[in-house]
Amino acid sequence: MHKGMVYLAPLVAMALPAVAGAHESDKWEIGVVLDAAHTSKKLELGARGKDLELGHSDLVIRGPLGSAFTAEYSLAAHTDEGKLEHHTENLWIQTRTLPAGLQAKLGRFSSQIGYLNEQHPHADDFAERPLLYRGFLGGHWYDDGLRLNWTAPTPFYLRFGVEAFSGKQLIKHPETKKSPGAQTFSMKTGGDFDASNSWQFGLSYLNNRRQAEAHHHDEEEEEHDHAHGAEFSGKHMWMTDLVYKWAPNGDSKNQQVRLIWEHARVGGIHPESGSLRHSGTSLAAVYRFHPSWEVGARTDWLKVNKPEFHEDDDDYEFASGRLRENALMIAYKPNHMQTYRLQFVRQKGSGANEEGELVFGAPVRNSVQFQVVIGFGAHGAHSY
Amino acid sequence: MRTAIKSVFTALAISGAGAAQAFSVFACEPEWGALVEALHPSAQVFSATTHLQDPHHIEARPSLIARLRRADLAVCTGASLEVGWLPMLQARSGNAKVQDGQPGMFYAAQFVKLIGQYEGVVTPFSGDVHPEGNPHFHTDPRRLLQVAAALRDRLIQLNPAEASSISEQYASFSKAVSERIPVWEAKANRLKGKSVLTQHATFGYLWEWLGIKSVGDLEPKPGMPPTPGHLERLRAQMSQSAAQAIIIAQHHDKRPAQWLVQQQATGKTPLVILPATVPEVSSTALLTWLDGLVVTLTQEIK
Repeated sequence: MHKGMVYLAPLVAMALPAVAGAHESDKWEIGVVLDAAHTSKKLELGARGKDLELGHSDLVIRGPLGSAFTAEYSLAAHTDEGKLEHHTENLWIQTRTLPAGLQAKLGRFSSQIGYLNEQHPHADDFAERPLLYRGFLGGHWYDDGLRLNWTAPTPFYLRFGVEAFSGKQLIKHPETKKSPGAQTFSMKTGGDFDASNSWQFGLSYLNNRRQAEAHHHDEEEEEHDHAHGAEFSGKHMWMTDLVYKWAPNGDSKNQQVRLIWEHARVGGIHPESGSLRHSGTSLAAVYRFHPSWEVGARTDWLKVNKPEFHEDDDDYEFASGRLRENALMIAYKPNHMQTYRLQFVRQKGSGANEEGELVFGAPVRNSVQFQVVIGFGAHGAHSY
Repeated sequence: MRTAIKSVFTALAISGAGAAQAFSVFACEPEWGALVEALHPSAQVFSATTHLQDPHHIEARPSLIARLRRADLAVCTGASLEVGWLPMLQARSGNAKVQDGQPGMFYAAQFVKLIGQYEGVVTPFSGDVHPEGNPHFHTDPRRLLQVAAALRDRLIQLNPAEASSISEQYASFSKAVSERIPVWEAKANRLKGKSVLTQHATFGYLWEWLGIKSVGDLEPKPGMPPTPGHLERLRAQMSQSAAQAIIIAQHHDKRPAQWLVQQQATGKTPLVILPATVPEVSSTALLTWLDGLVVTLTQEIK
């Protein structure tokens, strides 16, 4: 993609909705989101490079295909050390008119495991995803596959879903290739306590059939994979997420509190790893105290056992490491098309392998990030 | 024994049929819930929002997905008012009946002429503008009647067995509103040409109907909360030519309007806080609410 297209896209996006101008949401729409941030020090497992970089920005085209399907295409771009990189992130069709609360989706899309994974990163409350996403899902995990969901006709929200994916975006270099490479099962439920208080709980399981190559200790660092692909993986991953939101009388425009808790546990790290696991937890609180202002705090824990292969003694070692991260942010959102966020992050790592090399090589003492998110054209609805 | 089993089955069949018959309506805003109550009282009506919420900014909460999942009909405003949340509810509900283009998805904006179309190019700095026009048309009873006629047709299409009852209900609702319109207009006659300072275009259609002039907006840009600089400009404007009232909706933050009132010579400019829609979902709520709007305005604006 030429750099020129990045600048041209917002102009196209601004012009198109004016042409469409229909009454309903039943029309094709196009939108562009630009996300840029200045980072004082790159975070351990961070997706954003030092200094000014374009973060996860995208061009989204979405609309109906007849009355039975919705389709979406999105092209995501970011810079990596000043170099523009791009990929197709979404290319899917989804059914709208299956009977009995059933719904199917086919193509490339984000998995619905966890709370944040399916949400657009530009809508996040913090400049970087929680550690468990950066460690286990490559920030956010999209892949090529198929989904089938069922929403129950219950008085409270209850949804069950299964997905089958190629798994290629999760494990880039597997030792074993299987098809499908990854399967997920998930459940979401939720409701209101009263007019001001609401909640949602999710439980998901990921069966990853592509075993990642162990880190070859005596080799040079292979080509580096930015942003995508899981850093730490295993055969099984369980995720639980709990969200609670408060707004006086349900009017979230002026005031709102959001509490988000997520936990992930990864087992079957490696055939030789026995019962060793990875685990990660994230707890975030955000308070909107003014229609345009939000403050938030997040704390993250990550515990891993990194498989390493030593060619000299032809044996595997599992280096245990821990990473803690605390983040504070303040965001100014004059309207839903603009976000300006200032974030402070502090990390602390521990653990090394037998040679004394740190599992987490460069946790930052302090990092300051200034992030700007600007949307042009149509802006999709946000999920809970 | 056999008759006992038979009667149990009959009872189950009846209760099952009874449950299936309760026509379930999901109203995006309470005014449409009240309209359904007026036209089809046997429907089971749920309103997704209340008069204390800003309908532009609603969380796509799990409880709303569950409600939409079981709805036979969704009645919404359209014109992008619910663009931030309704599409998410539709997508998550897995309910084929309430998808766009289906008879179970009713957008009121398709049946009225809108005012206040945004003519310029929409940029991220334009605010939350609606190129389609102002979506808050339920404050104009004449447009309300146009929506009622279209909704009657839709309800009959989905409940052909109850066509005559729905038609009768519509006729009496339409008669009641039509009779009141000249009464309200007469009562509000002296408000013609009065100038008010408002927040957002919430009551734009009410001003147009009653001939009231909106001379300023507390929002610097549509949907953008009042800023100190903008309030200061309004204060200066008010000192040149004072508006007869400052009018905001119940779901707006009171503080900016209160500050502006305090800057005026005492007792000169009242702050009027109106409910932007019906405070309860009932068949008579729309008439009572419109009555209340007209009475409050005639009392407060000198």
